[in-house]
Amino acid sequence: MVVIGLGSAAWLVVRLWPYRYHGLLLEPATPVADFALTGPEGRPVRLSDFRGKVTVLYFGYTYCPDVCPTTLAELARALQRVGRRADQVQVIMITVDPERDTPEILARYLAHFDARFLGLSGTAAEIAAAATPLGIYFAKHEGTAATGYLVDHTATVAVIDRDGYLRLVFPFGTPGEDIASDLIHLLK
Amino acid sequence: MKAAALGAADHQLTVPRRWLLFILPAVLALSVFAFATLQPIQVLPRIRPAPAFRVTDQAGRRLTNEDLRGQVVLYTFRPLRCAAACEPTDAIMRAMQEYARALSADETPLRLVTMLFDSEPLSPETLQAFAQARGADPARWWMVSGDPAGLKQTIGAGFEVYYAAGPDGEYAFEPAIVLVDALGIIRGDYRGRTQNLDVATIRRQIAVLQSEIRNDQGVNRLAYEAAHFFLCYAH
Repeated sequence: MVVIGLGSAAWLVVRLWPYRYHGLLLEPATPVADFALTGPEGRPVRLSDFRGKVTVLYFGYTYCPDVCPTTLAELARALQRVGRRADQVQVIMITVDPERDTPEILARYLAHFDARFLGLSGTAAEIAAAATPLGIYFAKHEGTAATGYLVDHTATVAVIDRDGYLRLVFPFGTPGEDIASDLIHLLK
Repeated sequence: MKAAALGAADHQLTVPRRWLLFILPAVLALSVFAFATLQPIQVLPRIRPAPAFRVTDQAGRRLTNEDLRGQVVLYTFRPLRCAAACEPTDAIMRAMQEYARALSADETPLRLVTMLFDSEPLSPETLQAFAQARGADPARWWMVSGDPAGLKQTIGAGFEVYYAAGPDGEYAFEPAIVLVDALGIIRGDYRGRTQNLDVATIRRQIAVLQSEIRNDQGVNRLAYEAAHFFLCYAH
């Protein structure tokens, strides 16, 4: 009787204890201004198209030598761990290099990580309008003859909830397991 | 006889154990209630990411939001010509510069940035003269200017400080100071007409932020996250 009681109390404590996010939880959550960019096959895609899903936004580019593939691999792992509810999550990479990243190139690149990832491009002004309010800085700088130019950019990952509110920011290097854990909690 | 004595002892033991069923959840609930109401740890809200920008400072150097990561930053916004409306904000920034100077070495450095949103980018010489007139220490307080369209996006869409030039060239805007933490998250937003825009409030809140940066590690992190969860916000 006592064991059952204590077990129930422990279960209650675990259930009621506030969840500790691995990412930075933004409180009070603020709505993200809608924006329109270009998706696969040149079709227009708006952020608001994903209302009802948890949207994971990352800004990067396909020529990115290290930071972007590392982050995308972690996001792919996170999506795998989310499991069957992953259909309620949309991972989007917005290019910060629209000169080289056409929608086709983006789609091919992202398919290496996870076929469900969506790549968006646009004009530099359209991308800046989406990136600036989220604190994403990007600027071209010269690379080597082999790499061509490179693009410096903020490497954080932003998570927008089902209602279009910015809820979490993951710094670069957050493990996929931690991202998955937070996504699962947001999906509850 | 012996068995009866043992049975009695067992009985005596089970009473406090039963009480534990009620005491433990009650203590837990009371602790949570006490934490939420007494607020032994206070924090500042994590409002939203500070916007991205690329500007030029009074020394002609490029400055971006990424350059300021790892430092606590106070931002303010104004046009070059703005006498009476901007004087209170300038005075607060001067006071905060002294506060920044007095911070100890183990605290996160505090930097000040004044963004000038004129219709044309200002030259480093103009910014230099502007900075000198306000006693700005070039190591702590940067006067910056940049592409007007980019600044509009940063200041308007990002910091949510809206401004517009009237037909006489005078700008209409609400003076504001915004506090950004070392991770680039907006933690305080002080408005001239709608919220307390005074040195004492800003200093107090920066001290709260510095305390969080210093202590938000290891086991303490749980306590700070609980403070965020229960909205234990410093005022």
